Amino acid sequence: MALNVATLASRMLGAALPILKKDARDAESFAKLEFTKIAQTIVAIGEQVVSGQINEQQAGLLLAMQTSASRNVFLTLQGLALLAVEAAINAALNVVRSAVNTALGFALIA
Amino acid sequence: MHKMKERQPRWSLLQRRTSLVAALFVPIVLALVLPGCAVKFIGDYDETIDKGVTDVQQRAELYFSRLQSTPNMPYDQNFYDDMNSRLAVSKSRAASLPKYPIIVEQLANLKAQFDTFQKLDKSSPRPFPGVAVTDAESAIAVSVESILKLELALKRGAPPPPAITQ
Repeated sequence: MALNVATLASRMLGAALPILKKDARDAESFAKLEFTKIAQTIVAIGEQVVSGQINEQQAGLLLAMQTSASRNVFLTLQGLALLAVEAAINAALNVVRSAVNTALGFALIA
Repeated sequence: MHKMKERQPRWSLLQRRTSLVAALFVPIVLALVLPGCAVKFIGDYDETIDKGVTDVQQRAELYFSRLQSTPNMPYDQNFYDDMNSRLAVSKSRAASLPKYPIIVEQLANLKAQFDTFQKLDKSSPRPFPGVAVTDAESAIAVSVESILKLELALKRGAPPPPAITQ
């Protein structure tokens, strides 16, 4: 049996795209939730300085903590993106494994 | 001749984009598959790190609660020594695990947050401002949630462990 690139590509994309879309939605909702918390705290820090509850030096340190929190949110998004691509590639391979291995007569895709 | 030209199928933008993605995607996948096994770009779930980070958060929450309820409480070096040692242990473990640089960096950021709060705690006169505790608590919670979100995602959809029956 001959392998057809267009058919293989279509099946691979069909398996990969839903995973990428779903994981992108999950990552978006996580990012939205966490960045909202950070934004709320940054606004609160500004108000606390104005009202005299904390001084500027304390505000600077608290803001630095928010910056580190933002970095950690970005790093999680980076990790989730790697997982999504990994899952998409593996799903794409699974869906064509049988056709490819049968056509070639040996297990190219384990 | 003109009619024949019109009968030629014209690819829509979507079709062209799909074939471009396919043209890029297939060679990448084939290049990755040559070793013949599933691809893995990031390490596996680690229960010790999960528990270590959760434990750090619990201890931090306890300290923040004490600082909120007793704003005249003196600065406590022991708390920071304890946090530093626990985070150092988790970071060393993460550094020893394959494909774990993201979580190593996240743990370094969490440690930096405790270092910053230590400066704030040490330099602030008493009573310690309660709003500052709330702000710091929120920042540390975001970091912990971020680390745990990624750590749990590393289970890669594995089914939950069976329920303990008596």
